[in-house]
Amino acid sequence: MKDVVTLGAGSGFWGDAADPAMELLERGDLDYICFDFLAELTMSLLERQRSKNPELGYVPDAVEMMAAMMKTAHAKGTRLISNGGGVNPRAAAEKIAAAARAQGLKGLKIAAVDGDNVVHRLDEFLEHGVSLAHFETGEDGLARRRNAVVSASVYADSSGIVEALDGGADIVITGRVSDSAPYVGALRHEFGWAADAAHADRIGAAITIGHLLECAAGCTGGMSSRWAEMPDMGRVGFPFVAVRADGTAEVTKLAGTGGRVDQFTVKEHLLYEVGDPGNYVMPDGVADFTTLALEETGPDRVRLSNMSGRPPTDTLKLVIGYNDGWIGEGLLFFPWPDALGRARKARETLLQRFERLGLAADDIHFDFIGVDMLHGPAAPMPEYELNEAGLRVAVRTRTREEAEKVRRACANLWIMGPGGTSFGAPLKPRPVVASWPTLIPRALVTQHVTMTEA
Amino acid sequence: MARLLREIAYVRSGDKGDVVSVGVIAKSPADYPAVLRSVTPERVKALYGSHVKGPVTVYRLDNLDAVNVVMEHALGGGATRTLRLDQTAKALGSGLLRLEIV
Repeated sequence: MKDVVTLGAGSGFWGDAADPAMELLERGDLDYICFDFLAELTMSLLERQRSKNPELGYVPDAVEMMAAMMKTAHAKGTRLISNGGGVNPRAAAEKIAAAARAQGLKGLKIAAVDGDNVVHRLDEFLEHGVSLAHFETGEDGLARRRNAVVSASVYADSSGIVEALDGGADIVITGRVSDSAPYVGALRHEFGWAADAAHADRIGAAITIGHLLECAAGCTGGMSSRWAEMPDMGRVGFPFVAVRADGTAEVTKLAGTGGRVDQFTVKEHLLYEVGDPGNYVMPDGVADFTTLALEETGPDRVRLSNMSGRPPTDTLKLVIGYNDGWIGEGLLFFPWPDALGRARKARETLLQRFERLGLAADDIHFDFIGVDMLHGPAAPMPEYELNEAGLRVAVRTRTREEAEKVRRACANLWIMGPGGTSFGAPLKPRPVVASWPTLIPRALVTQHVTMTEA
Repeated sequence: MARLLREIAYVRSGDKGDVVSVGVIAKSPADYPAVLRSVTPERVKALYGSHVKGPVTVYRLDNLDAVNVVMEHALGGGATRTLRLDQTAKALGSGLLRLEIV
């Protein structure tokens, strides 16, 4: 067993930069690089793609990145773990294997992990008395929306990843596992930490580390409150971590890269998208962020100790994506003098247009851009005259046709609007895929590992 | 003139479903007691008004000199359903820095 395992962050979302990951691979000499590509409703988008073509349904960027990195990774002994398999990890693994053969990497082992996708099992769950009640609202109405369901993915734990690594996989590509699972899986494989009560603090540490790294530049200066102090963010370094078998870790980034690692970049990211920080429930266990200690041990270096946790719960989170109507949206801008007065007049005119067009709206929302669009009621009205202001309108409708009326009404204001009304091309209506989060018994989900050799 | 929370704290916000969470981190340990006094569920709820329809909970992290503010039914139905531009509540959190320090 190694004393120290090193893991780097390769991607924080689908669309993240590839060059910091390549830099980590070439200069980091890491044991693992882990990649997150999935947002809450990415699975719906991918499920739609697969329904049109059974060969699709994975994140194309994930396959491209594995293909670009596999040769160097193989030479350095760095293993690559991602959740870019989306709703079709096996197809992604086949593509990666083909790329490996094309690069002469015969024998490279690629593991696909699936079993998280339960879109075809929802009726089975309902028949077996699983309520699928919405876990935020307690609402029990999924059956009513059954025909609108697009995707259903369980946030699975790292056990499939551990099995793949135990089997010698060089590259692991999964479906919907928790964002931290690639990190947790690598640490469980290396240190033999089981997901049980005896290892609860170690798993808690692994989850904490995964949470800290899963958004990549999120803990090296990205999204920072101290943005003005962050150097060279355009060539920011992604974080990597050295984890010891005793459950302590040091977070850092490569010398010469942009951004920063200090107690505040780490604290900000620890608290990112967290509920009760003493009870951070993940499929691998429950992390407690209220015990850990942070220490700046050098430039761009923070040590984490006393991380803790509790054993996993009996349930897993399932997110069901379903079609839920349309949003029609428009943006209009107005110049000084009295820019805000013009925006208010335009709002009144738009409401009259909606009425004349017979718009059937579920909800209508206005923002004054430059005043309250981002902070809503928390924003005070300005006490000075604005140089310019904007009006944004967004309307929820049942159908695309209704949402089109919003675009038409906004276009009507080209000439009906106040003097100086200006706007670019009217925005297209967009379909809404809503999320229905629920909990299901853990025992209903079994992950599968499929090993492919190049 | 009252001092505002922006002088003594950093924030980062994000979403999970229709829940918005805001980490509020004291700039120094000496500022932490004022953060605790100033960031209360009642004051947060009053600040955001109709934007936050559900309860607000403030969790303490004495080990980090920070609190985590969790606001339920606060995103207009969640990232994909909301009619707001700031769909994932990245910008909403800095509104907390408008709170007056008490």
